[in-house]
Amino acid sequence: MIRFILRRLLSTALVLLVVTFVLYLLLNVALDFFWDLRSSTSPNIEALYESRRRLLDLDTPAVIRYFKWLAGVGGCAIGQCDFGIAWKSGQEVTDQLQGAIVNTIKLITASTIVAIILGIAVGMISAIRQYSGFDYFITFVSFLLYSLPVFWVAVLLKQYGAIDINNFINDPTFDSWWPIIIVCAAMGLFWMGALGGNGKRRVITFSAATLITFATIYYILASSWLQHPSIGVVGVIIIGLGAAVVMTYLSTGLKNRRVLYASLTTAAIGALLFMPLQYLFYYVEMNWLWMTGLLIVAIAVAIGVGLAFRGPDPWDTARTTSFTAIIVAFLIFADRVLQGWQDYSNDPAINNRPIATIGASAPNIDGDFWITNLDSFTHLLLPSIALILISFASYTRYTRGSMLEVMGQDYIRTARAKGLNERTVIMRHALRNALLPLASVVPVDIITMIGGAVITETIFGWNGMGKLFIDSMRQAELDPVMAYILITGLLSIIANLVADFLYAVLDPRIRVNA
Amino acid sequence: MSTNNDNQNALALDEVRDNAIESKETEGLSQGKIVLRKFLRHKGAMISIIVLVLVAVFAFSAQGIAGLPGWWKYSHTASGQVLNPGGAPTWSFSNLFSLGEHPFGQDEIGRDNFARVMKGTQISIIVMFIIGAVCLIIGTTVGALAGYYRGWIDSVLMRITDGFIILPVIVVGSILGVLVGGSSGPMLGLALGCILWTGLARLVRGDFMSLREREFVDSARVAGASDFRIMFKHMLPNAMGVIIVNTTLIMSQAIVLEASLSYLGFGIQPPGISLGQLISEYQTSFATRPWLFWWPGLFIIIIALCVNFIGDGLRDAFDPRMKTIPSWRKMKKAERMAQKGAK
Amino acid sequence: MTEKTRSDSQPGKGSPILEVKDLGVKFWVSDEWWTAAEHLDYTVNAGEVLAIVGESGSGKSQSSMSLLGLLPSNGRATGSAVLNGTELIGMPPERMQGVRGNDISVIFQEPMTALNPVYTAGYQIVETLRVHLDIGPSEAKERALELMRLVEIPDPEDRFHSFPHQLSGGQRQRIMIAQALACQPKLLIADEPTTALDVTVQAEILKLMRELKSKLDAGIILITHDMGVVADMADRIIVMRAGQVVETGTAEEIFYRPQHPYTRQLLDAVPHLGAGTEGEVFGSSLDDVESSSFRHAEEGEVDPHHDGSRDSLGTKHAGSATVAEGGANRTDDLDAESRELAEAGQPDHHIEMDSTETFYHPGSQADFSKPSALQLRDAAIEYPASGRKKAFRAAHHINLMIAPGEVVGLVGESGSGKTTIGRAALGLLPTVEGDMVVNGTSIKGLSNKQMRPLRKEVGIVFQDPGSSLNPRLPVGESIGEPLYLHEGMKGPELSRKVEELLTAVELPTSMRNRYPHELSGGQRQRIGIARALTLRPKLLIADEPTSALDVSVQAKVLDLFEGLQKEYGFACLFISHDLAVVERIAERIAVMRHGYLVEIGKSSQVVSNPVHPYTQRLLSAVPVPDPTEQRKRREARDAVLEATTNA
Repeated sequence: MIRFILRRLLSTALVLLVVTFVLYLLLNVALDFFWDLRSSTSPNIEALYESRRRLLDLDTPAVIRYFKWLAGVGGCAIGQCDFGIAWKSGQEVTDQLQGAIVNTIKLITASTIVAIILGIAVGMISAIRQYSGFDYFITFVSFLLYSLPVFWVAVLLKQYGAIDINNFINDPTFDSWWPIIIVCAAMGLFWMGALGGNGKRRVITFSAATLITFATIYYILASSWLQHPSIGVVGVIIIGLGAAVVMTYLSTGLKNRRVLYASLTTAAIGALLFMPLQYLFYYVEMNWLWMTGLLIVAIAVAIGVGLAFRGPDPWDTARTTSFTAIIVAFLIFADRVLQGWQDYSNDPAINNRPIATIGASAPNIDGDFWITNLDSFTHLLLPSIALILISFASYTRYTRGSMLEVMGQDYIRTARAKGLNERTVIMRHALRNALLPLASVVPVDIITMIGGAVITETIFGWNGMGKLFIDSMRQAELDPVMAYILITGLLSIIANLVADFLYAVLDPRIRVNA
Repeated sequence: MSTNNDNQNALALDEVRDNAIESKETEGLSQGKIVLRKFLRHKGAMISIIVLVLVAVFAFSAQGIAGLPGWWKYSHTASGQVLNPGGAPTWSFSNLFSLGEHPFGQDEIGRDNFARVMKGTQISIIVMFIIGAVCLIIGTTVGALAGYYRGWIDSVLMRITDGFIILPVIVVGSILGVLVGGSSGPMLGLALGCILWTGLARLVRGDFMSLREREFVDSARVAGASDFRIMFKHMLPNAMGVIIVNTTLIMSQAIVLEASLSYLGFGIQPPGISLGQLISEYQTSFATRPWLFWWPGLFIIIIALCVNFIGDGLRDAFDPRMKTIPSWRKMKKAERMAQKGAK
Repeated sequence: MTEKTRSDSQPGKGSPILEVKDLGVKFWVSDEWWTAAEHLDYTVNAGEVLAIVGESGSGKSQSSMSLLGLLPSNGRATGSAVLNGTELIGMPPERMQGVRGNDISVIFQEPMTALNPVYTAGYQIVETLRVHLDIGPSEAKERALELMRLVEIPDPEDRFHSFPHQLSGGQRQRIMIAQALACQPKLLIADEPTTALDVTVQAEILKLMRELKSKLDAGIILITHDMGVVADMADRIIVMRAGQVVETGTAEEIFYRPQHPYTRQLLDAVPHLGAGTEGEVFGSSLDDVESSSFRHAEEGEVDPHHDGSRDSLGTKHAGSATVAEGGANRTDDLDAESRELAEAGQPDHHIEMDSTETFYHPGSQADFSKPSALQLRDAAIEYPASGRKKAFRAAHHINLMIAPGEVVGLVGESGSGKTTIGRAALGLLPTVEGDMVVNGTSIKGLSNKQMRPLRKEVGIVFQDPGSSLNPRLPVGESIGEPLYLHEGMKGPELSRKVEELLTAVELPTSMRNRYPHELSGGQRQRIGIARALTLRPKLLIADEPTSALDVSVQAKVLDLFEGLQKEYGFACLFISHDLAVVERIAERIAVMRHGYLVEIGKSSQVVSNPVHPYTQRLLSAVPVPDPTEQRKRREARDAVLEATTNA
């Protein structure tokens, strides 16, 4: 196995080397290094050309320059990276890269995780309800998303997702009730289709979903939640208990009372800790290390609760309680972040327009851990949505296809013939097998995502790798473009490697044979 | 692959029984005709084909092509007087419905938006088809050779495709776009075709590898067929499904890719025109002249969506597992009737 | 809860468990109801095996699946099926889940695909237990191990943690059975439980099922197409055809006094091992097994072809085939007994199970000086390395000769390398050692191009007629292709020739414009034969030509094949796993095991007088479609199985 991975790593690294070589030569032909001088009327134009040529070392053949560049990059191995300079601005490429890499990874990681979770869930339901209205609807939506150009969506998001929402936050008035009614009915139909069942159950689902949506919207509007959003201890309790029930349903079924009570207990403990945590957050300056620590504590407590309930399968219980704990922990975190909303919104740098359209963070924002995070979330929001929309469709389609394939297999029939209920057949026997091939899709999709990030970053002014690439291309700056190609290539190699590894871990057939 | 199909069927009906039903449906038809018939039954694909053909006919006839004049009164280059305030679309519902002079509106120097969108659509469709054709040729050839010969030919060809897959298409596309540059649609199509073929090549390779194991290939070889004949007479027709479906899907990606590149300024640039380029040119005027943004975007989506649905229809049609979907409603009805009859 | 109902209504031996009345299964296909089975009436009693027999498409499987509500969503069951007072048809899914795996369980055909590949064998048994019984994981594991011991899986503790792909086919099927027996079901549905298995493994599984049947006192519905398996297992039989029951009765009635013409036809069509042999087939009675050792001892001395080196080997590790005396009162410690005998130094010169030497019956020693259609001289054949996969040698040191016009059967189980030899003879696989001579020309090391002229003289018929014809070509074109390629024949001349060939294989000439998917399996195989004979080859390789066909179709195709062989006079290497078929068609039989040719001789010699323990095992494992005879054979079989299982 390790030998196989090493071999692959080596061969892809060689491929990357060849790719950089070819692209270096192509870029030398493609880029016009004198574009700013072409229209110049300066009397010493010849001298300017000459100095540019000397600056970029253009008299040396491109092949040799490539190896010079490669030598500089190879310096990274001994801790002396030299990616060259961006000649137009005169900056070192290494300096440009530092912030850019972090920003891009931040953007892509969040979107990928959300897209994968949503895509798998929707794709799975779509497959289970094959040929139903819901299935056709999802199919249509995913094709629509495939067909949407990112830049077009991004412009729309800027207009309707940021400018109009910000306007609405400042002046919350409605012209008519129709949009709300339509949204409520749509949610009702969505859940009805997703949960399915016979006629009576459908009616109940529809009414419940419609009413809950309406109540939520009404509450948001009536309490002017948008102006000072928070979850509050009540919200944490309600959502936490709900999460406990849903998690129990998905992992072992509600019939297993022991697991249900254990997860409910976990949610209750989370709610009890709400107030003490507020004091902790107030008196101690927080950072991500603290957050990670607290999350670990939460999971540990949850596992403790799960094991304390004992029963025949303590680890099944512990698994369910852990998931519940993660959700509750997230709720408490989100609540604390939202508590800074008012301050953030009133900050002169924000000027009551909290949803950002440009950049990765607002300039001149001074704030503690919570405010900085809130700032980064409001900036992440729109570009992430744009990226999620791109890959959500492919995950949905893929999960659906793979799930349908698996549901037709003999072992699914065996599982049914054993007397397992539908939930177990799907969650335990079908899903596990259906997700295996997904491991080979994720790296490809991450590369697509990096590609999508090029456009998204450019439109939202997000100072990441993609924007660096586009800007440098426009300025005919060879070195940053090459740096981008190299780093993106490395990222995709790593993504592939991780996927191979995941696949091997998940699939016993490969694990054992290798 | 085929064993999987069988497993799928195992739940449904005994395999031979299945064939009995199938042959009842498909008596006297060649495989091609069966596929066509299934495809014609796919509603989404049928609607999409009609829409796509209408859009294409409209676009090509309105602005004319290769020197032939079109029927629309304005050219996409001619500026004119701005009629409505800001150049807003002139269609209205007075007298039921009237198009007016500039149904899609005008830009700030009075160019007719309809003419421009139609011309852009033309170019985008041309680019799309060129990309499709280039991918079809390169992808099929590379995939077939790699899958049939395996060994070092396979290794080399697959490493080459790895090289293309390692970077996002938009990045390589930008570089090639700058290289061939400027206003020529066909050149851009050729360049982009050279990077989009890799996925198709991999799929064709996989298909050829499994077809190679099929007994009819051995039996052709035993009959004395040459490698060339085996590949193109025997295996290629059997791989047609994969090839056609995926070429279609590549084309739907292609139109969005072309638009994105043109939007970034690395694809078609003024005075050249394409749907992406139009959006790029007009994006800043979204607040003031939204129609300049909406129309080209809408056409990109319509074309891409249609091509996607056609691809889906083709996939279903070529998929041997896909039988006609049983109509549940009719089944329920028949059941109810039967129950009533019993009472 | 379920425990309680069971104790309440525990059926006594022989009392009815399941009563089926007017059961029908329909499918909604292309907007109409399509009947898969109807008017089924039967009763299953405790401790009894009811066999439902029929060819493909008879609805035998579907009707049984409907008992469990396992029909696909476009299927509907009508009528009534009562299991101990509970109506099964139309039972709501939630209640049905309590019945499945608990009261009724199923053994499926394909153990490879019927077990979930990502969970261990043990986990899948435990899962069944824990769904229905309220027990903890450790207790469930204990029970699972018990079950695994019950189905005789070696090292159950080890195997408990194995994934399905790490187990052999037979072991997987045992896991499947263990899982089915987990909750002590009242009714067991075995859906072609041995069809996917090799004949010796099938024999082991049948033996196991017989033993379990008497231990468990459950009713068993055995669904199969194999008359031999039926004869081995069934108490009562239902014969189905195209969704209808054509005949029901006890095993004796059906086998000895069949009433319905279809039943008779079905029975006649089954090739009967030993039909072509004077004297008894090996394994017909226990005496064979006992006496074989002595007979061979004598032969070993007189047989000039017997390899001397083997004798010394044989004496050291004897005991494999020496199942020995006391057969009449055979007891469970027979194995021990035989071992004792072996240790006592019985005068035997037998071959050990793992011996790789070839035993030549008199007259079958390859004589390479004579003219021949096919010669393999100490040939070794490899699957070439591809990618990271290493080259795999599938056949070693094969010496085999086929005289012109002779039909030689090549028998072996899956993985024995029999197909490899066929493919190598066609030049589809390389001969790496020794030599391969086809019609007088060595084809070792020839390229595809160099092979081409030689291809005129060799034809092949493949196993799967569906896969061996190009689905995109009309069958006429497939048949005519060799003529076009080798003789440049075109147009009307080609059409005439193709029509001639179609007539020769008894198909209407109008079929030439049809596509393979429009033809039935039998028709396709006829096309396959026609295509192979197009150029009137001197040698024909027939690779399992009938194993994908229903038994009645198989009989017709074999008849045709025999007729054509006489008419065209080609030599033939007939590869098959089915000894009865090979015996019928071949003059000589060669037996392969693990890539070695272990025995070759005249058909009658091999069938009635096998020498290699593997051949003996193979022969005794074949079930014959005759309950009385099979009962005798069964004893011999079990004896051989036990003696040779771990040899």
